[in-house]
Amino acid sequence: MGVKSITTLLLLGLAVLSLVSRGTAQAEDIAVVVSSNNPATNLSPGDLRKIFAGEKRSWPGGQPIQLVTRGSGCPERVALLKLLGMSEGEYKMYWTAQVFRGEADAEPLIVPSVGMQKEALRLFPWAISLVNVGDVKSGMKVIKIDGRMPGASGYPLH
Amino acid sequence: MLKGGIRTRIDCALLILALVPASSRAQTASPSDQETITQLVEQIKQLQQQDHDLLERIKILESKQLPASPAAEVGPSPSQSAEQTAPPPTPEALPHEWHDVHGIRWRGFGEVDYQVLNQRKPELGTGGFVPGSQGNFYTNEFGLFLTSRLTDKASVLSEIIFEEGDAQSYSVDLRRMLLKYDWNDHLKFSFGRYQTNIGYYNWAFRSAAWLQTTADRPLVMQYASDGGLLPTQAIGVSVTGAIPSEKLGLNYIAEYGSSDTIRPELNGSGQVTDENNGNHVNAGFFLRPDAVPGLQIGASYYHDQISHNDLLSGAPTPLLPGVLGPSTRYGQTIVNAYVVYVAHGIEFLNEGFLIRQTVIGGSLHFDQPAFYSQFSKQLGRLRPFFRYQYVNANSNSNAILDDVGLRYGPSFGARFDLNNYIAFKAQLDHTARAGEPDLNGLQLQFAFTF
Repeated sequence: MGVKSITTLLLLGLAVLSLVSRGTAQAEDIAVVVSSNNPATNLSPGDLRKIFAGEKRSWPGGQPIQLVTRGSGCPERVALLKLLGMSEGEYKMYWTAQVFRGEADAEPLIVPSVGMQKEALRLFPWAISLVNVGDVKSGMKVIKIDGRMPGASGYPLH
Repeated sequence: MLKGGIRTRIDCALLILALVPASSRAQTASPSDQETITQLVEQIKQLQQQDHDLLERIKILESKQLPASPAAEVGPSPSQSAEQTAPPPTPEALPHEWHDVHGIRWRGFGEVDYQVLNQRKPELGTGGFVPGSQGNFYTNEFGLFLTSRLTDKASVLSEIIFEEGDAQSYSVDLRRMLLKYDWNDHLKFSFGRYQTNIGYYNWAFRSAAWLQTTADRPLVMQYASDGGLLPTQAIGVSVTGAIPSEKLGLNYIAEYGSSDTIRPELNGSGQVTDENNGNHVNAGFFLRPDAVPGLQIGASYYHDQISHNDLLSGAPTPLLPGVLGPSTRYGQTIVNAYVVYVAHGIEFLNEGFLIRQTVIGGSLHFDQPAFYSQFSKQLGRLRPFFRYQYVNANSNSNAILDDVGLRYGPSFGARFDLNNYIAFKAQLDHTARAGEPDLNGLQLQFAFTF
């Protein structure tokens, strides 16, 4: 077997692997994560939507909720837009309007990586974020949606 | 470590940027490859911008909150646990769309319009105010919006409007200036100059044309300074918040303040009505049920006392026989109800009003109903819309809105978002008017934010 054939096989293998991993990622649930010292353990889908729409802005203890989101194109962003029933453009306009109404200080913080999500959760102990379940890291506490953890049947965030 | 990670990401991005064009040249790129490359370059630019913003952000946070290096990332250490139980830092998310100057965030809104009417007579309520001209350019309102957070619960909000008037003169209006204190989700105070929360439109769109789907506001929701029917501005206190109601999503609004509405007559005659409003009370509620995300249903009740004080060039107009003088006070009650659905690219707004003005100490009263219904659907960057509006103000000489009379008709058009900052709108209007010929108009508008 020549070098050319081995290279072709390797490239094919990589292509198949990337397709398989992409398929798996798309099928993965999106976890709702908070800082590990946040006492919240469960949210209703309605409350989750209200939190990410900026309609509910504090935890039951009165602490201000800090939203940490991922940028456009990420599976977490897709799940967020699906949760809110908005397109990317509508989402941006919605938050501009929220600020203009005086209902919010600014559009939620956008971070470009899971590592920075983790860092943001450390910096803002009352933050909440969405993370692909395969990317959940130590220091991130996964909370249930309607009593269901990611992976359970009927879990609403994909 | 974090900065190192970001730097590595930028380096990787630049490497990809360098490699992709080289490989595409070698393979004689097809149009789809070129498209992919363009998208990749765009994404890299966005990532670089985000990284830049975050680096700036981290610098600010580190200087404010982190005396120690944030190097330890594996599991919470005892010192970290102690830090995490400390009071939370002030949330200060700062996306690059908002400009921050020494803690003051600002944003601007503006519009450039062209309107053609099928009459030469000025018509204030539709923006065409140049006498003797059927079509004219105008800039209507240019707004600067500023906010600043003072503590984790207190903030300041202001909206400064430069409004175009006759002969291209501009007046400055401090449309909102609020000291806000959000105790929690259930109790939020605002002190200062606010827009009265009568109805949904005022609350949702404020005064930025860029946020509106249509080129203009429905007549009933026009600002009083443009001939609108409602007292839109006041100085006082506004309290809002959520009422614990599980899945019903109930919220309340309570306002008490002073207004002094001066509204020019719609026909641009130069005559204005100084209503000399007494203090008003406005109370309302709205609900956003969990079962139907995007649905909002609300109602409000407003009451104050006003005068029918017509002025021309600052002087009182001569009273016609049988017309009550400016010393007569009217009790004004405005009842509003609305059902709105905004989700999944659909915008369906429906609002109804009943404006009752009653002569105090007499039996004379005027009931003036108004409503509008607006539907639009996002189709990519295009949002076609349709609106129907109806106002039936009493044209009796003793009625305060006698210049408005009966007006109704449809508007339709489309909004096209050129990007996230500029929208182009085209709108056709047909308005039937009691005792006057029907009015047709075309409005073209560039609305932008910066």
